[in-house]
Amino acid sequence: MRIATHKPVPPAVLGVLFALPWIVGFGIFQLYPILASAYYSFTEYNLFKPPVWVGLENYRELFNDDRFFKSMFNTLYMTVIGVPLGLFFALICALALNTPSRLQPFYRAIVYLPTIVPVVAATYLWRWMLNAQYGYINAILGGLGLGQPLWQEDATWTKPALLFIGFWTVGGTTIIFLAALKEVPQSYYEAADIDGANWWSKFWNITWPAISPVTLFQLVIGVIGSLQYFTQAYLFAQERLNTPSGGPEDSLLMYGMYIFQNAFSYLNMGYASALAWILFLVALACTLVILGFAGRWVHYEGD
Amino acid sequence: MGTTRRQLIVRGSQLAAGAALAPAFLTLSPRASLAQDKVTIDFPYLWTGPEGEAMQKIADDFNASQGEVEVKGVSNPDQQRQLAAMASSNGFDISDGFDNQIGTWADNGAIQALDDFISGSSYDTSDFIPSVLEKMSFDGKTYALPVAVHTTLLLHNTTLLEEAGVEPPKTTSELAAAIEALTKVDGNGAIQQLGMQQPDFVSFAYSFGGQWIDDQNQPTANHEGNIAALQFWVDNVLNKYGADNVKRFQSGFGEYASPQNPFYTGKVAMVTDGEWQARFTQQYAPDLKWTAAPIPVPDDKPELEGTSSIASSIFFIPSNASDADAAWAFMQYVMSPDAMRDFTVALANLPTRQSLLKDKAYEEIPGMHYWLESLSSKNLKAMPNVPWGQEYGTEITSTIDEVINLNKTPEQALNELQEKAKGLAG
Amino acid sequence: MAEVVSGAKPISRPVARAGRWRKRTKFLVRELAPLLVTLLFVFPFLVMLSTSFKPDTESFSIPPRLWSDNWIIDNYQRVFDAMPFWRYLRNTLFLSVMAVIGTLLSCPLVAYSLAKIRWRGRNVLFILILSTMMLPPQVTMIPIFIMWNKTPFMGTYWPLIVPNFLGTAFFIFLLRQFFRAIPNDLLDAARVDGASELRIYFNIVLPLSRAALATVGLFAFVWTWVDFLNPLIYLSDASKYTLSIGLYAFFSEHGIEWGPLMAACAIFSLPLVVIFIFAQRQLIEGISLTGLK
Repeated sequence: MRIATHKPVPPAVLGVLFALPWIVGFGIFQLYPILASAYYSFTEYNLFKPPVWVGLENYRELFNDDRFFKSMFNTLYMTVIGVPLGLFFALICALALNTPSRLQPFYRAIVYLPTIVPVVAATYLWRWMLNAQYGYINAILGGLGLGQPLWQEDATWTKPALLFIGFWTVGGTTIIFLAALKEVPQSYYEAADIDGANWWSKFWNITWPAISPVTLFQLVIGVIGSLQYFTQAYLFAQERLNTPSGGPEDSLLMYGMYIFQNAFSYLNMGYASALAWILFLVALACTLVILGFAGRWVHYEGD
Repeated sequence: MGTTRRQLIVRGSQLAAGAALAPAFLTLSPRASLAQDKVTIDFPYLWTGPEGEAMQKIADDFNASQGEVEVKGVSNPDQQRQLAAMASSNGFDISDGFDNQIGTWADNGAIQALDDFISGSSYDTSDFIPSVLEKMSFDGKTYALPVAVHTTLLLHNTTLLEEAGVEPPKTTSELAAAIEALTKVDGNGAIQQLGMQQPDFVSFAYSFGGQWIDDQNQPTANHEGNIAALQFWVDNVLNKYGADNVKRFQSGFGEYASPQNPFYTGKVAMVTDGEWQARFTQQYAPDLKWTAAPIPVPDDKPELEGTSSIASSIFFIPSNASDADAAWAFMQYVMSPDAMRDFTVALANLPTRQSLLKDKAYEEIPGMHYWLESLSSKNLKAMPNVPWGQEYGTEITSTIDEVINLNKTPEQALNELQEKAKGLAG
Repeated sequence: MAEVVSGAKPISRPVARAGRWRKRTKFLVRELAPLLVTLLFVFPFLVMLSTSFKPDTESFSIPPRLWSDNWIIDNYQRVFDAMPFWRYLRNTLFLSVMAVIGTLLSCPLVAYSLAKIRWRGRNVLFILILSTMMLPPQVTMIPIFIMWNKTPFMGTYWPLIVPNFLGTAFFIFLLRQFFRAIPNDLLDAARVDGASELRIYFNIVLPLSRAALATVGLFAFVWTWVDFLNPLIYLSDASKYTLSIGLYAFFSEHGIEWGPLMAACAIFSLPLVVIFIFAQRQLIEGISLTGLK
């Protein structure tokens, strides 16, 4: 037997050592910024002069700030309308692709492809697709005898225009749904067929319970993602020379953009931090609400 | 065996980096300055295209003219992040912009006062047009120097006007009639040709006697002239042809600095624009026949004749410049009569030195005389420098947005704007 | 039960016809639906390519046409003339590779601590990591910017690279799920043999997780490749631009000239499409994994 003189390192020390990169990163890039952000939110700070304590002034200002409410509305619009519609579209696509076809890997690849196109390129592409006069979307709508909205000029249509980009880049979610659909035992459907169940009842009683955990996960991810919504709207509203822009009537001014503008265009770091803290609270609330209601519609195996 | 696999993962990713790694690592070191006698200063300019080339030429000429300062010019047309760079530990030494930024930036401490440089090098500023130079100051100090000045006139497409039998309008009622005569609409209400392109309403309002900030530096957003200017557009274009139709028509406009500019293609018959159009039309629409005249004024206010907004392109030195002395040396060069002449002639901009106003060099540019003459008008208007100038500008833009979408009447919208502006100023 | 009831009824002709019709629609749905969906996703790519190879005058036709009578490559020439594409490509490649290296060095370590080392704080840590996934980056963006702004590293690549070396919550989460599937008996046996945790990590766990590591590495690569906000905030020198920022700058300099802009979009997408073709399976398997908790 070997002489085991040195004591084994206690697991707690080992655990911390292995997790050290993240612990350090958490301290520097999460915990400190959150606390610093809280501090800055009580100051007036433009980077040129040291922060000046102003108490609750920034938060008070929020209530008189139309653009704060506008950007919050726009972001919630994308969250409340955009995310469920996106999930729905992804599910439809997944159901359509869920066939025993030999071409399925090819289909999956194509559907996923748009998500790896740089967002900048995807957004410019859709600005062209959605051009009111020369774009394909309006040409198609016109061909169907439908109205041809001013996607980029009319404040009521700019956000629906963004939904198109969202739908196009829904591939990741589609593939996840597809994988979940494959997990559902075929025997369940066969049994239902014997019972003469129709398509809807099969979907509702077999498919939906099986994919609901995945849907929940995608919903949470989607909501968090849409609260951060930035690049597509920023580029959609962008004009030449990149002066700060929120699109027609600020209809594209997303919350993330408004923080960005305040911080980096106007250098109102204090006010921007107050905005950021509100976002933090909203994100927290949204997550809790979704998870709180999850029990009512999500079925985990063994329930 | 396991170890080799781990190495494979790491080595594999290193291999993938390949040639990319070595050169890029060099750029990682902050402010890698080469050991040289020469001082290098960073000069990012907002201009691009032909303007950018003219800017780069000045920097190159300056570098060739002396051996002490090397100006590193780069085109960086991102106004949105210019300020952030000026607050960072890695900024630039000198750049360009517009005079409406001076108030906000000087108030923030983002740009340096030039008074010490001016007195230190006994720099003579008496040749600058006094009213333009005055706009460079904030709180009694000079924060920038003007390299060019801009006025706004109404351009007419001569061919279209003649076709419709319309004379260049001098009063707003003539303008209204001209717009009507020059607008063509098809059976579905879709616009085929628009009498006048939507103007910049801040300058347009001046021609109606409007004003945005008064002498006491207080906002006057709901000035009756401002309301009248917006109302004119609502009455004579938006309500007549449909705000949606106008927008749809506009969405098909080609790029401004290209042969597809709607004024060059005849999609719009009249447009308010600056002196650079003398060069642009030459470049992009050499066959276009056009004239220019002051923006029409209300029939009952002839005293406003010749009204134009006046704005200038400026050079400034940020507070965080690594070498402000070298930047000042370059600025003096940019402002010298020869460099200013080269630059303004290249771009067809108006010079800010009185001695250059009669210079023969500008005669070579067809149509330039319209704007040179406009400089002698008594009715040149601009907003004074105030700390809240930029935020006010943003608010004006979104207010105008609401009006041209017909969400609010001009009066309503401008009254609301006035309330907001008071908050900004107070 | 329903079967018994319907089965009791004699099958009438219309029902049989309906059955045949239903079969036919079923076939159509099964074979045509995937094609239609795929077409929906492909169409914008066709528009991008078509516009990029057309002269401007042809792009502005009503109604729009995909086909052109005189294809041109001038738009691509203009893009290459107007910006240093190869430099942007190199910069982006550099950043993406650094992100992969940083991610693969840090994330598996942390995941190992969470999955395979039995220590008391690990559940707290795991919950902490999960909750940071819910944190919008805009919340921390400003102090981090101010922090970097006080260092001489502003304007360099460091602010974009360093965070990767300190772990990314999502990747740690993924890898932890993966590591948990590795039987503990295997590790315990090694521990009994006197192997250190580091040895176990490098010699047993990592080799067994190559698929997961490859997936995470790929994600790290792609995410950095398409990132827009961070380069937008931290890069001001045009020589350091990434492809995303380069394309953005291209737009602001040249405005909406659709031909060249679409050519630029196509050029910018191409490298990723090539990577995708090679790594397609890995990526899609990885994606499928991420959804299934």
